[in-house]
Amino acid sequence: MKEEHKQEYKQKYEQAKQDGVKFWPDIIYKDLLVSFGLFILLVGLVTFVGIHPEAKADPSDTSYIPRPEWYFLFLFEFLKFVPGKIEWVGTTLIPALAVLALLALPFLDKNHLRHWKNRLTGISIMGVVVLGMVGLTVRSVITTPEQAEGSAANTIQDQMVLGQEIYSVYCVECHGPDGEGGIIAGVEGLEGVDLKSISSKDEMYTRSDETLENIAAFGQQDLGMPPYGLAYGGELKKTELESVVTFMRYTWDDRVELPEDASSAGAIPEIKEFEVPSYEIHISRIVQRYCISCHRPEKENNNYLMQTYQEMLTTGDNQGNNLIAGDLNSYMLLTNKGISILDPVSGEEIIQQMPPTKLMKDEYIHLFEIWVLNGMPETAAEAEALTAAGQEE
Amino acid sequence: MAQSIFTWLDERLGLTEIYDTILDRKVPKVNWWFTLGSASLFLGLLQGITGMMLSVYYVPTPDHAYDSITYIMTGVQFGWLIRGLHHWGASLLILTAFFHLLRVFFYGAYKYPREFTWFTGVFLMIGALGMGFTGYLLPWNQRSYWATTVGSEIAGTVPVVGDFILRVLRGGTDLSAVTLSRFFAMHIWILPAVIIATVCAHLYLVIRLGISNIPDRDS
Ligand code: HEC
Ligand code: HEC
Ligand code: HEM
Repeated sequence: MKEEHKQEYKQKYEQAKQDGVKFWPDIIYKDLLVSFGLFILLVGLVTFVGIHPEAKADPSDTSYIPRPEWYFLFLFEFLKFVPGKIEWVGTTLIPALAVLALLALPFLDKNHLRHWKNRLTGISIMGVVVLGMVGLTVRSVITTPEQAEGSAANTIQDQMVLGQEIYSVYCVECHGPDGEGGIIAGVEGLEGVDLKSISSKDEMYTRSDETLENIAAFGQQDLGMPPYGLAYGGELKKTELESVVTFMRYTWDDRVELPEDASSAGAIPEIKEFEVPSYEIHISRIVQRYCISCHRPEKENNNYLMQTYQEMLTTGDNQGNNLIAGDLNSYMLLTNKGISILDPVSGEEIIQQMPPTKLMKDEYIHLFEIWVLNGMPETAAEAEALTAAGQEE
Repeated sequence: MAQSIFTWLDERLGLTEIYDTILDRKVPKVNWWFTLGSASLFLGLLQGITGMMLSVYYVPTPDHAYDSITYIMTGVQFGWLIRGLHHWGASLLILTAFFHLLRVFFYGAYKYPREFTWFTGVFLMIGALGMGFTGYLLPWNQRSYWATTVGSEIAGTVPVVGDFILRVLRGGTDLSAVTLSRFFAMHIWILPAVIIATVCAHLYLVIRLGISNIPDRDS
């Protein structure tokens, strides 16, 4: 900048100061006001928006779609335009030039004028860059697919529910609903194998959470237990394995106490005298716990699926006989009581007792019976109406 | 009595002088956009305070980082508030600093005699982004793990030295306990030290040179 321009600037600046205000209190007051406003905004964000919960890092879960912090998204998106061999142009050259240009701005811009109307080139370049950054950020947000809703269970309560669910689906068919083991029936390749209990004191006292998680992840392949960890060819993420272990620990280990608010999670409610159970509240939970591990797709089960109410009523080779409203001879009720179903012609057994390994508690068998006798209500409201009607009579 | 204590201190500490040079000075009339720098400063200080509080419970190891954050959110009194402020404050700080940069640019305030203030400012912007990048990994959740994986991969594409940078960032070929402790050290010691020094230089220059005036049409 030329000496005369410097002098001219200094003069103007002195004048502006003369006509100006005092730093204290005029400026400080404005600054404090804005900072205070931002603080209120922050507290509002924290209280009403909060922080989105995320599952623990799982290096084996490569399906996770990476999402950088929002202010890096524009860079991330920009890279999609410079793929392959020239990638380094996008990752190194352009960012480096941009930072250099920003640093050297006072030298690049030799114009001594400051008002924006006298610096239209510079203002437009910056305008285009900023608009580009905003545009790329928006594009990145729009084009990144929604993260598959991961099962991020954070509280013990959520973990118990998730763990119970996973245990029912993946482990019950061999280890039984209560981890009791016994002679395996109805599982390909392990028919007749006698499993020791995994819920006993012995087991719980000698296996740490980490050991249990590892067993579930690696399996015990020489003994016939398949691996479940994603990294070892199974289907379960690390957080899911942890939930199963949490479920096992809190349900079977008599040394640990479940926190008050978590103890009712996923429990099957008892019914009072004359109360009619519903699918929604009672049956679905029992099924989840005792049946679903075999009665889901790709398992041997006479094509009888039990994942939803509809499925329970409309699938199975013996569909017409499994659940007949009001009929105590429904196959479901007979097999639950340990009576196997024989082919009327050949006399061969077509359905064994259910569950095949060990019958459920009498309480649950009874629940199923009342449910069928009352026409298998689906929702709690339907069941309530039936209860009320029954009591009036 | 109070007067004599003040005089005693003033003679030794130069309080009046500080008051005169920093607080009781004339500055040009400016508008609200000129509050963005002090807003960044305020948010920066808030980040420092909440960050120190978080470091009481946070454990920088892959085994415990996630659980320690969960504990802060559920077990520590007002832990959710402290972490929330730190989380949202980081985003807000980036915004205010960036808008501050834009307002400085718009008014041509980077020109003589404030070129050096501008340089320090650019370093502050980079520093703030660096804090964002290193801090993002610390919760050790899915989001942070995979964002850092790609982030460091990008650094790895730099010609010639890329592989070296990648190895320095990660402390090995993959993200591991070493990566976490490196990012942690960067986030709570190294970057803050650099940033605090730069902020001091920045503020010194702002006070020494005075805040610029709003340029008129023929300047
Ligand atoms: C296909 C059948 C099968 C399934 C399904 C199965 N396991 Fe196993 N599991 C086994 C066998 C076989 C053993 C070895 C038992 C033995 O040593 O008596 C075993 C052993 C175990 C042990 C005890 C190991 C020890 O040495 O203490 C645990 C704990 C265990 N399984 C957990 C699980 C969990 C959790 C799941 C569900 C994610 C599961 N298992 C699913 C078959 C299975
Ligand atoms: C260990 C696996 C296993 C479990 C657990 C299990 N089942 Fe089954 N279920 C089977 C198999 C296998 C069949 C096919 C018939 C057979 O082989 O006995 C079957 C068939 C049935 C059928 C007849 C379906 C048809 O249309 O032929 C009913 C009803 C049934 N199960 C009910 C239940 C109920 C209710 C539960 C839970 C309380 C349950 N099952 C738990 C394995 C299982
Ligand atoms: C953590 C980040 C930053 C903090 C805490 C900070 C703080 C401040 C403060 C308090 C002021 C005085 C008043 C004002 O204009 O608001 C100021 C002025 C200034 N800042 Fe920053 N700043 C930061 C980042 C930046 C950045 C990113 C730039 C530009 C690259 C920058 C360039 C300047 C310049 C040139 C001035 C003098 C402006 C003038 O006199 O009109 N600063 N800064």
